[in-house]
Amino acid sequence: MPSRLLPDGGPLDAHHADTLRARRRTVYSQPGWNMSSRQPKEMRDAMRTPTSSDTVGHDDLDRLLSAVALRDRVAFETLYRRTSPRIFAICIKVLRDRSEAEDTLQDVYVTAWNQAATFNPQLSSAITWLGTIARNRAIDRIRRRRTVSLDETTVEEIVDESPTPAALAQLSQERQRLELCLQALPETQRKAIREAFFTGSSYAELAARMSVPLGTMKSWIRRSLMQLKTCLER
Amino acid sequence: MNTPASSDDKDLRCAEYVLGVLSDEERREIELALQQEAGMAESLARWQARLMPLNEDVAEMMPPSHVWDRLQAQLGWTRTGHRAGLWNSLLFWRWTGLASVVAACALAIVLTRTVRLHEAEAPRAGAQYLVATLERQGAGAAWTATVDAQHAQIVVVPPRDFVIAAHHSTQMWMIPPGSKPVSLGVIDPQRPTIVHVARDRLQQLGAQTTLAVSLEPQGGSPTGQPTGPVLAAGRVEGI
Repeated sequence: MPSRLLPDGGPLDAHHADTLRARRRTVYSQPGWNMSSRQPKEMRDAMRTPTSSDTVGHDDLDRLLSAVALRDRVAFETLYRRTSPRIFAICIKVLRDRSEAEDTLQDVYVTAWNQAATFNPQLSSAITWLGTIARNRAIDRIRRRRTVSLDETTVEEIVDESPTPAALAQLSQERQRLELCLQALPETQRKAIREAFFTGSSYAELAARMSVPLGTMKSWIRRSLMQLKTCLER
Repeated sequence: MNTPASSDDKDLRCAEYVLGVLSDEERREIELALQQEAGMAESLARWQARLMPLNEDVAEMMPPSHVWDRLQAQLGWTRTGHRAGLWNSLLFWRWTGLASVVAACALAIVLTRTVRLHEAEAPRAGAQYLVATLERQGAGAAWTATVDAQHAQIVVVPPRDFVIAAHHSTQMWMIPPGSKPVSLGVIDPQRPTIVHVARDRLQQLGAQTTLAVSLEPQGGSPTGQPTGPVLAAGRVEGI
């Protein structure tokens, strides 16, 4: 299992440090990376800024992605290094399969390289843009699986709870606003929305899993989506 | 413009697409509509902004380093081997950078000349040529298709720097107004391809027909309909 990233950014693996240190001259480098490749690993570890992700704002990622559109490989690698743990997690969440998630992750970044020019910072943020590609790829993949066999325990695991107030406080303002609106939905419908989002299941699969008629599931979801929209626009 | 009801309906379809509850076929319909219908892209982007923050609930996971290695290999960045010494050599990167620029310029010249050639030939052959620019969402022209009716073929030129996974293919489709997509076959993702079109299909290929390129499993769609995301689409026009 890979190491989980701590909320503060956590450890970056040695591979990335190795491939990146040669290119620290780039403007995208963070201060924590600005060190000699001859320094022992321990020293490099010690010099890592513990709050590296705090300095990585969405604007930085947006600029990186815009640079990727201009065929900047260093920007691409930096973008990969900073965003792949989240994108990988999204792939695993939907696909429930490590090796498929790895393939999908690769696809996502190939697509990002090809289509970076379609990124419009006015319409979206880089992380949303990448997350969207990841979700679309992962959902397309599971739609093509002939049998979706999730045992009971997996289903239990998937229907996870909304974040605790403490956890929520760590998340973005957008996420917090969304949670307020989700909390305004009836509990079953909130569950259906979360289940749909995190499993990438179709209406039919959701209806079967939550043991309700297809029509009921459709109207739950549609009504909830419209309610969310109204709530978020308030 | 749209009636309020239909624009609400479209907005709801976008919401369902982003949430991920639509079937494979419905997803392809949305992707096609996205390329062709005004307001869809904005509607979709707004739903992404609304729902994507849910992704923050997922604990980050460091991917294994071989994914990055494979990614570089796929993008063709490790052709000269993956020795660390070379990888870290500034001189190597300088020359690679220079060589890439030269190659890109050469390619640009070749492509421009190819396209010019077609443009120049068109009027001489009479009204036998149709063209389509297949646009990628928000990115302007991507693929160009020149239909040569006389020879029943289409010359398709892919966008520069386009790379796809080894286990994928790009497939070309024609969609006559109000009809389902008809496959025109798998096209080379990187080089111009000449697509031969059956004569009876050619009759359907008039103005208002949409040409599209989708990403498919290697060898093309197993179902005869697009199964992967629509990469670009555009209408055929006379010249």
